Amino acid sequence: MGKASLKVTFCGIEFENPFCLSSSPVGNHAEMCARAFDAGWGGIVYKTLNVDERFKVIMPSPRLNSYNYNGNKFVGLQNAEQISDRTLAENLKDIAELKKNYSTKVLISSIMGFNDDDWAILARESEKAGADMLELNFSCPQMARKDAGHRIGQNYEAVEHFTKIVKENCNLPIIAKMTPNITDMLPVALAAKRGGADAISAINTIRAITDIDIDSLTPMPMIHGKSGITGFSGPAAKPIGMRFVSELYNDKGLNLPISAIGGIETWRDALHFILLGGMNIQVTTAIMRYGYRIIEDMKEGLLDYMNDRDIETIEQICGKAAEKLVDPSEFDIRYQVVSVIDEEKCIGCGQCYISCQDAANQAIIFDLETRKATVDEKRCVGCTLCKHVCPVWDCITYRTVDTLITPHAGRL
Amino acid sequence: MKKRVDINQIKQFKPMRKAMNFQEAIIESNRCLLCEDAPCSQACPAGTDPGKFIRQIKFQNYKGAARTIRNNNIMGSSCAHICPTEKLCELGCSAKELNHTIDISGLQQFAINYGIENKLEPMIKSKENMGKIAVIGAGPAGLSCASELAKLDYDVTIYEKDSEAGGVLRWNIPNFRLPVEMIENDLKNIRDLGVKIKCNEDINTKEKANKLLKNNDAVFLATGLNKAFLLSELKDFNNSKSYIDFLRSIQESKKEIKAQIENKIVTIVGGGSVALDCAISAKALGAKRVYVISLEHLSELPAVLEEVELGHLMNIIFKPNTRITSVKSIDNNIIAVKGNEIDWKEENNFSPKNAIEIEDTEFTLKTDLVIQAIGTYPIIKEVFSELETFGKGCIVSKNSLTSHKKIFVAGDLVNGGATAVQAVGEGKKAAIAIDSFVKGGK
Repeated sequence: MGKASLKVTFCGIEFENPFCLSSSPVGNHAEMCARAFDAGWGGIVYKTLNVDERFKVIMPSPRLNSYNYNGNKFVGLQNAEQISDRTLAENLKDIAELKKNYSTKVLISSIMGFNDDDWAILARESEKAGADMLELNFSCPQMARKDAGHRIGQNYEAVEHFTKIVKENCNLPIIAKMTPNITDMLPVALAAKRGGADAISAINTIRAITDIDIDSLTPMPMIHGKSGITGFSGPAAKPIGMRFVSELYNDKGLNLPISAIGGIETWRDALHFILLGGMNIQVTTAIMRYGYRIIEDMKEGLLDYMNDRDIETIEQICGKAAEKLVDPSEFDIRYQVVSVIDEEKCIGCGQCYISCQDAANQAIIFDLETRKATVDEKRCVGCTLCKHVCPVWDCITYRTVDTLITPHAGRL
Repeated sequence: MKKRVDINQIKQFKPMRKAMNFQEAIIESNRCLLCEDAPCSQACPAGTDPGKFIRQIKFQNYKGAARTIRNNNIMGSSCAHICPTEKLCELGCSAKELNHTIDISGLQQFAINYGIENKLEPMIKSKENMGKIAVIGAGPAGLSCASELAKLDYDVTIYEKDSEAGGVLRWNIPNFRLPVEMIENDLKNIRDLGVKIKCNEDINTKEKANKLLKNNDAVFLATGLNKAFLLSELKDFNNSKSYIDFLRSIQESKKEIKAQIENKIVTIVGGGSVALDCAISAKALGAKRVYVISLEHLSELPAVLEEVELGHLMNIIFKPNTRITSVKSIDNNIIAVKGNEIDWKEENNFSPKNAIEIEDTEFTLKTDLVIQAIGTYPIIKEVFSELETFGKGCIVSKNSLTSHKKIFVAGDLVNGGATAVQAVGEGKKAAIAIDSFVKGGK
């Protein structure tokens, strides 16, 4: 056994591991949450509560559509899911029961109000029920009312105001959940900070269209002949999530802990977000596809990674990759590479040749007799397109060269 | 990866593999590496261009894939089922270096079926003004050559001695391997091109042949190999058949042949694909035991590996490295075959003359029926007696030309017996030769 530990302290609360369910159908009621805790998840952001006397949630149907690519289903998932459609009383009872039975686990109550009173009531009631933290849902992209969700999340003043209301009505740590459906997330995160938020979670789902039925000419999911631009998540959303998390982390003015969300399926995905500044990890889409059991591989994989490198705490590595992000204007362009093809590993498909011919600098020579590709180093501009199209993962690499390139003409 | 063969389907003479469905085709085509100068395309004797039609499937241009196959290989529906792909297009597949070969025949079948189900537009009819061509024989070579000529706007008529077009495809390939609908689909495309197919027209006299020569700008001869070799030891017995007769009788009446085969012991002589087809068919018809006697060892059989594996699955008893030396018979009926094991005098020479008997390996196999599949030869020379021949009677030809300037040949009649896809390729080339001959004369 190594010395690594997955324990994290986030907003003063100790998590046995940083892996949480994000607020969604995967944490819909006590029985489900209990099974998630039993499976090993460190915390749960409960499905968003609202004051049901004012707004009765009815779920649209069908409300899911998977984004498929090259025969792979579920590269991403679009949903038109709403916040919890159970009564506030039922949900509060479940939160209380879960806290009673799982005292060492962390339960975060996600809340969404439609006015000051709503936010205040939800904050107070969640605290009373025993929630450890609150997450303010400023970001649901498909609310069935226009004065909520991501529209609030795009309005700095509203975010600051409602955060403040919540802060005044309870003593729990507050996470403000951000929408990515905005050019720059920072002003919103800073507004939440001004309102008293203790942490930021990002990203909620990305507004998107995943497919169109080309017979009925209707986007999917087709809800009685209509559809909508709604939240997109899953592996295809991860690059966008990583961008936002790193921007939050790298902003000196914000300086709040981050709960990272966005297409996380494996320990490696989680590690990527940790390296970009996440101290806490939230997952839904992967659980929707594979179930709670994936936590085992996340924990085991991350622990092995840490032990193999003598890393003892997640804090030690948090943000380490974010620190290496610079503005493209600061790239060191004296550093140049050329591709190197491993002839032994080359299987002779010529994909590198085609791509280099049509999209790079015509620097690959493909011998039709031997069916082997080689690099003309005089022409190679080091874009590495070949490396990325090669179907053999470790066949094409690159090495540094001293010479500079001239545009469109290859190397001097 | 190829789908598993379903033995229950074979027993009903229905397609032995389930057709590749939409989902499977998308996944399989996405495994394709879309090679530069694709080895699969290079390997196809008919120029079907799998590299292109797989790319079209991958990019969801399914009708385009069906069009490519049809335009390049007019027998593409049939070839999709019968090609020995593991020896041709799939042999050099780059994907096998990553995991396994692309199931090219499966994808080809998918594209063909897609075209049929989605009503691919008919091919454009010939304008018929470039000249008149007679084609003798409606097998793969004849049909292919006729179609290419029709595309070049020739008025083409095929003369077929049988009641139906298709040649070996129709009569000598069991339906579990090649469903009749596939031949019909190819024939429909050929007729759409304007090719006229006259069945029951045997060009069996000098007079008929001369008439064709006189009334046409050129004659294309593609009558294939239509006579089976028979071992002298097995000739002229009531219960000894050639594969040609056996397979044809299955196509004509399964009921009748089933009555003759059911619960019987059948001995097949030969080790090629045809021998295996006979063996599998006999088993499918309910034979109690089926032996396959071959000079070659299992690893040396001309049949493709898949057929040998299928033979194992069907509990066929292989007797490799053996030959028949004599029979036991009663009233002109064979009751047992006798043979012994053999060894080769020199390596990699699988001719009967190279076989030597191994002492003390004699065996006797009780048998009710013997089917011989040891090769075929042509019988054409009586009609076109002036044509120069060689070997077993095949016609001497270079670039489809013969010693008669108006007569062109291709397919098995020239190459001595090869695949259907090879005959299609040769038929295409012959059409070009005929076109340049006719144009040269005008």
